[in-house]
Amino acid sequence: MAPILFQDGMEDVLPSETNGTKSGRSDTVDLNDSTLQVDISDALSEREKVKFTVHTKTTLPDYAKPEFSVVRQHEEFIWLHDRFDENEDYAGYIIPPPPPRPDFDASREKLQKLGEGEGSMTKEEFSKMKQELEAEYLATFKKTVAMHEVFLTRLAQHTVFRNDHNFKVFLEYEQDLSVRTKNKKEKVEGLFKSFNKSTDEILLAATQKDVDDYFEREKTFLLEYHMAIKDATTKADKMTQAHKSVADSYIQLSSGLSQLGTIEGPRLEKFINKVADTFEKARKVEGRVSSDEDLKLSDTLRYYVRDGSAAKDLLYRRLRCLANYEQANKNLDRARAKNKDVHAAELAQQNACEKFEHISNKAKEELNDLKARRVTAFKKNLIELAELELKHAKAQAQLLKSCLQSLPEE
Amino acid sequence: MRLYLIVSASPSLCPGDNPQATHLPRAWAPLARPPPHGSRLTADLFSTNPGALKSPVSEQTTTPEDQRSPEDPLTPPPPAASLTPEPHNPGTPPDLFESVAEGPVVVQGGSPKLSSVPLDLPAGGNGGEGKQQEVSLEEEGDEPDIFDTMSSPKLQLNQAEGDGGDEFIQITVSDPQKIGDGMSSYMAYKVTTKTNVSYFRKKHWSVMRRFSDFLGLHRKLVEKHLHSGRVIPPAPEKSAIGTTKIKLGSDKNADSGSLDFIERRRAALERYMNRTSTHPTLRADPDFREFVELDAELPRATQTSALSSAGVLRLLNRVGETVNKMTFKMDESDQWFEERTQQIESLDAQLRKLHASMERLVNYRRELALSTAAFAKATAVLSSVEEHSSLSRALHQLSESTERTQTIHHAQADADFYVLSENTKDYIQLISAVKDVFHERVKTFQTWQHAQITLAKKREAKAKAELAGRMDKVQQAQEEVTEWEGKVERSQEEFERISRAIKKEMEQFDVMRVKDFRDMVIKYLEDLMTSQQQIIKVWETFIPEAKAIS
Repeated sequence: MAPILFQDGMEDVLPSETNGTKSGRSDTVDLNDSTLQVDISDALSEREKVKFTVHTKTTLPDYAKPEFSVVRQHEEFIWLHDRFDENEDYAGYIIPPPPPRPDFDASREKLQKLGEGEGSMTKEEFSKMKQELEAEYLATFKKTVAMHEVFLTRLAQHTVFRNDHNFKVFLEYEQDLSVRTKNKKEKVEGLFKSFNKSTDEILLAATQKDVDDYFEREKTFLLEYHMAIKDATTKADKMTQAHKSVADSYIQLSSGLSQLGTIEGPRLEKFINKVADTFEKARKVEGRVSSDEDLKLSDTLRYYVRDGSAAKDLLYRRLRCLANYEQANKNLDRARAKNKDVHAAELAQQNACEKFEHISNKAKEELNDLKARRVTAFKKNLIELAELELKHAKAQAQLLKSCLQSLPEE
Repeated sequence: MRLYLIVSASPSLCPGDNPQATHLPRAWAPLARPPPHGSRLTADLFSTNPGALKSPVSEQTTTPEDQRSPEDPLTPPPPAASLTPEPHNPGTPPDLFESVAEGPVVVQGGSPKLSSVPLDLPAGGNGGEGKQQEVSLEEEGDEPDIFDTMSSPKLQLNQAEGDGGDEFIQITVSDPQKIGDGMSSYMAYKVTTKTNVSYFRKKHWSVMRRFSDFLGLHRKLVEKHLHSGRVIPPAPEKSAIGTTKIKLGSDKNADSGSLDFIERRRAALERYMNRTSTHPTLRADPDFREFVELDAELPRATQTSALSSAGVLRLLNRVGETVNKMTFKMDESDQWFEERTQQIESLDAQLRKLHASMERLVNYRRELALSTAAFAKATAVLSSVEEHSSLSRALHQLSESTERTQTIHHAQADADFYVLSENTKDYIQLISAVKDVFHERVKTFQTWQHAQITLAKKREAKAKAELAGRMDKVQQAQEEVTEWEGKVERSQEEFERISRAIKKEMEQFDVMRVKDFRDMVIKYLEDLMTSQQQIIKVWETFIPEAKAIS
């Protein structure tokens, strides 16, 4: 059970990602954000689950109160996402990607390993490493909160989504949404459905010729881009991990040196202690480099992997719609030929046509919007990344310089 | 003493190394072989120069002049003594090390005599030892000055602590070459020496040596000096895998793994040579001098091979010693030794731990370099796919910046390794050498005890014989008693001598160790700082690019 504590530096993340007005992420809004403001004001980590306190402030009339909070769990967010995903009215939109499941397994494992290795290290070392791990845990925690919040804010700012009934229920309904995790049957169904979807996707991609060049290009682009960005995300993750390991190994170096100092006695002790201290400080800076890289770089990439995925879904829906439309055309022709059920076929065809055109228009908008969002987000995060890296490198250089200068002369 | 780390190859020197070089070895070679006795220790005590043993040990306060006369008898007996043909200058080197200082003017005054005392005598070590002790007693006060003036944070220069005359010797090991092919091939290294020490014939020259030559040198030095209480810098380890890989691999296929191995070994050999040359006694040792000077192939030190009979013998000896170390608990009466032994043990343990964490750091940083490189490539791909042109440019810049960061990380990992990790490893090995020396002392103590016990027995035997009225036996017993009395006395002196010698060595060792450690750490911090400064530059160039995204 750990309520979040906003530590220094981590605050950079949350406002930028979550406060809709500042992120510049969504251009589709009329920037009337005061009408519906959603954020996660608190979160509690309870063994296996995380409980988020979703806080809403609104001036919209349909809500009972102007300000209220509810407690939600991850599954309920997924439920909300699925409701949007399934809704045909929203077929032409990019559905904001759902937040990933809170995953503390890695941290927990490390903590456990540390506990096992307790005997082999000094008390100091142990407490330092424990502190590090706890900080890591906290960082993961904050990240998951941020990602859930981003999901909600995007919905809140979207002109169409914000008015969705399910969204309102999610925000307002004080009881549990009773979203039980899918039982076996439903899981299998879900699997089946997604399997179907992906084969359909592949089939369509192979057979369905797009009438619109723009979309054809977009499809190719998105596919390529998706692969590249996914790869970049994995590599970025590996890199930040390695950085963290380097930072952590400074801990042992520092404590090893301190112990050496005690054995060495007066001649070297002061010198060694100064150096050990410097390593400790350097470690903290390196750790920050790693976490900042993670936040600014990896997370940005990761988000756009998911957003890109959502865009791909959109394209898929449109293609499906196109397929349906063409099918409806064929049906109509056949009906006319047989002169049977013509009216029904006409209606169906008209429907399909409308749907298709609606989706195509919306999709174009959404894709352009995605592009713009992506460029802005990258720009912002790359600048912030570079500035932070610079700041940390300068701090380390300064730290080392002052250490060298102050090393007691023999 | 400064640690010396020169990584670059030295220019080839001394074209036309003089043919006279040949006369040296002939004079020296036989000298270099210590008398082949079963037990080195006993040989020294009982076979060579009883006279020498007595003189230096007994006098702690006489002037060097007094010392010299008793030393003359040293010159004839031991084989190594015939170093006399080389009237070399200043035994100053040993004094420098012991006393650290202003080139003992006193000593130089008497140099011819001194030089005729082969300081490398196994037993003569005693004589030299005594002399050195004298000198150092006088010069002790100068110690601190020398270090300060000579001290430089850079690990570059290796200067013997010296008088204003700056005794200076610097050795580079470079140009590893593979000679021959297949299993009979070996790596040869160019050993370049720059020095102004007078007993070397030139100022600047090179010779080629193979790895087993280095090991052979070490072995000889140990045989000759260990029991004088000297700390002999350990030689780099043999590595069956690495060597076989080199032997069997072709030059073209030298992969980075073998190249790394060769570079590691070369650096280790260089450090080894420089550490050995800083020790004045070892530097003046004829074997050492032959090693650095002889312009021809050294006789194969076949006995360094693990599989040779000598190798097996050594192994057995080592096992025996280890057992001895574990089983014999010496009755330590000397507080100093008690404390030092403890400290050495903890130092050993702690250094090993530190070394392990350094190795981890090296590995992680290497991993960081690799993953950064992978990321750089992935970003380049992303940049080429991205359709928005200024974002694409920025991503491309990111890829290049990351590429540069990767190089920095890689270089830093190397610094982590060569500056920090390898040097610490050297120190762990040096501590082993120290432990060996301490153990030598324990052995002399054992011998002394043994002699005392035997003496008691002989006395008993004599008393018995007297009681029994066996006059013939009494006579023999008396002779034995006298003999063993002498032995007891000598072994006690030996024990005390080695104890004193070790104390002296340790003082110097400590000073050297402290200095080296400081230098190592400072150099490392400087490297780390440079890396950070380079990283700063990388990001500074990137920021405007990121800002340029429209």
